[in-house]
Amino acid sequence: MKEFQLIKDVPYEYNADKGLHYSSPCRGMWNIVHYGTLVPGGHQIYVCSTSCLRGVVLTTAEMGAVDKLSTITVAEDNILDGDMEEQVLHGTEKIIESLPQRPRMVMIFISCMHHFMAVNYQRVYKLLRKEYPDIDFVDCYMDPIMRRKSPVMPNIRRQVLRPLQPGAQDMRQVSFVGDCFPMDPETCDLKKHLEENGIRILDLTEMKDYDEMKQMEHSCVNFTFHSEAEKAGKDLELRLGQKWLPMRESYVYDEIEEDMAKACQALGIPAPSKEENELQRDLTEQAAAHCREVLDGTPLAVDSTAVDRPLEFALYLLNHGFEVEAVLVEAITEDEGVFRALQKKKPDLKVYSSLGWNMRIVDRSFDGKIVGIGQKSAYFHDTPYFVNEVENAGMYGFSGIRKMFSLIEEAAGEKKDMETLIQHKGWGCSACE
Amino acid sequence: MSELHVNVFAMTYTADVSGVCSTMYELGGMTVLHDPSGCNSTYTTHDEPRWYNTKSLMYISGLDEMTAIMGDDSVLVRDVKKAAEDLSPRFITLCGSAIPHLIAFDYKGTAHLIEKATGIPVIPVATDGLKLYTSGIGLALREWMKRFADFSLPHEKDTVNLLGVTPIDFSRMEIVEEMKKALEERGFTVNCCAAMGDSFEKLQEICKASVNLVVSSAGMQPAKMLSAKAGIPFVVGTPIGAAFTDQVAQCLREAQADGKSRYAYDASRFQEKEEGEVLVVGEKCASCSLAQAVDGALGREAAFVLSPDVRDGLDEDALVEKMKKADIVIGDPLLRYGIRDPHTKFIALPHEGYSGRIYRKQIPVFTGDAFDVVTFLEGGRPGGSA
Repeated sequence: MKEFQLIKDVPYEYNADKGLHYSSPCRGMWNIVHYGTLVPGGHQIYVCSTSCLRGVVLTTAEMGAVDKLSTITVAEDNILDGDMEEQVLHGTEKIIESLPQRPRMVMIFISCMHHFMAVNYQRVYKLLRKEYPDIDFVDCYMDPIMRRKSPVMPNIRRQVLRPLQPGAQDMRQVSFVGDCFPMDPETCDLKKHLEENGIRILDLTEMKDYDEMKQMEHSCVNFTFHSEAEKAGKDLELRLGQKWLPMRESYVYDEIEEDMAKACQALGIPAPSKEENELQRDLTEQAAAHCREVLDGTPLAVDSTAVDRPLEFALYLLNHGFEVEAVLVEAITEDEGVFRALQKKKPDLKVYSSLGWNMRIVDRSFDGKIVGIGQKSAYFHDTPYFVNEVENAGMYGFSGIRKMFSLIEEAAGEKKDMETLIQHKGWGCSACE
Repeated sequence: MSELHVNVFAMTYTADVSGVCSTMYELGGMTVLHDPSGCNSTYTTHDEPRWYNTKSLMYISGLDEMTAIMGDDSVLVRDVKKAAEDLSPRFITLCGSAIPHLIAFDYKGTAHLIEKATGIPVIPVATDGLKLYTSGIGLALREWMKRFADFSLPHEKDTVNLLGVTPIDFSRMEIVEEMKKALEERGFTVNCCAAMGDSFEKLQEICKASVNLVVSSAGMQPAKMLSAKAGIPFVVGTPIGAAFTDQVAQCLREAQADGKSRYAYDASRFQEKEEGEVLVVGEKCASCSLAQAVDGALGREAAFVLSPDVRDGLDEDALVEKMKKADIVIGDPLLRYGIRDPHTKFIALPHEGYSGRIYRKQIPVFTGDAFDVVTFLEGGRPGGSA
């Protein structure tokens, strides 16, 4: 296995989740603990072995949120005695009774072991719901052994919304679901447009109060912006009958306009006019041209931690005359059309997987200056010039693309302390100093 | 029913798997953690200060549901073989977490199959992710020595090995160097430091020592093995402060002379005591050594100790109760959450095995002669920190 392949040699079915995995020092991506702490008044309980607990407890410690998480350690005696249901039940009772404040939601994370021991955890939650009717108990999962069909991050984004029940739908209220970061009206076309049309937007990332979160029951449409949020959108559509509209992180202008039009139609508000769309296209093209000028041929590398659609973004950049050196992806999840177009556009584009075992010994140096879009791009090219963000944070649509261009320009012009920044766990959380 | 093992606020000590990885880090091998996901990033993020700057081959197998259910070990054999062909490690270590334990994964048998397939020595270390790092370090050192140490070497007088040394307990080389210096100043030659700062070849000569010093409870298993297999007695105690280091050195001389292993501190005195002036919370060997040093400095029996159990970790209820019965608590800063009495004085002694990287820069040089216990108790800098 080489550390990279040229895209012309990469099969569309490419998935790096095979073979031994390497863990790079890039820690900006959020994990289940970061996401769980978004719930106001929520408390997380992790039930698993010592080795699994270590990562989650230190995540909360680094965030300064120790009071938001407790643990129940599964030890040998619990496995041998077969009392793992009782352990979850009585352990949770003990934690609730010990907390200084009654939580509104308790997220109980069971682990791989519970599946293999056939633990009837749903029965436990039933008993707990009866015992504590004022608390919403949510079944959550830290079970990476199930990742092929049920990965943990999409799961948690869905599960934290499970307490929502069907309610009367308000045509003037929508929810943004499954995001890690709030959308900014200056960098998100949809948020700006909805606000201008008087639509109330509820977003877990901005909530301070549990009751406000429950108001999401009354939203008439749920919007998602990231592929990992789709489970949440779909689940709410099925359970609550709320319309789900995935807003594609697209770099195809027609698709952005199409999604915006669909959103407006669902809400019965006017879509952006043809003139407005033309203006947005022009502004975005200008931003691309400006960025290209600033970079002056400096190559770029894109990774899947920074954007949801790294291949499409790379194609867009290449089509706009940028130099793209490499993309870093763990699997190809984008449309085959995009993949084939990229193969045709730049057959010698390098494709890396940060999971591959050879990435441990890869020569991280790069001859000349390169700008990384994302932490992994930066680390594997050992460049201090990089866009430090994850999940296309707060960006959507034309204004989102323009924001990305401004971030790239900023990255190209200023060195960052890459070693320190990329090792902070959970970009955008209060990580350790 | 068995224990609930609930921690409302307390952290978790790092696990056996991290102990194995930490031990093998500098020895030129490749370590494979048989686990679905998570253990590797936990170790490399929180427990391994060398990860960014020192390349070492640490990987996770990425065990998935179907492979575990089918018990298909050939997937692991194939994957390790592929990686080994690219990386040519000197040896391979195979350890694992809870799921391999539950499905009764055969470490020894699979290690044999990998060795046959690759021609590279494979060391099976049957961890289960349920125990503390001390267990993992101990098992890893023991298994490595079984395979690679030269047991035919004659013992050299006044030569000592330090056992149980990894960054999980000792964070930086500077802290280890202070221990070595303190022993050398008392007439000993430090042969090996297992396993931090020494090479594969150096560790192969571990049996040259006439006595072993267990400086963390992680060193107990290899010490017992070396005692039984090579006739090297051991002393248990971490050289902390000049006075206690003198006691350790005296014990080393006695052990070397009579061939009998011994403790440099009275563990039962510290652990059975329910209340006192100074409570030391942490890994047993270092905490008891510090307690002994505290008693020595104060000239009275003031200290008592609470340590995590290798299987059950730190008992949070016991922690809160013992903290209530102490005037001063010494421990990792994250233990502060357990203090209920605002008058209790807390002295921070960060421990990588507990709070990971959070307070790494504040870990003082707590070993050797430079560590002044009285200054430390007064809340000052006992011997400097990085």
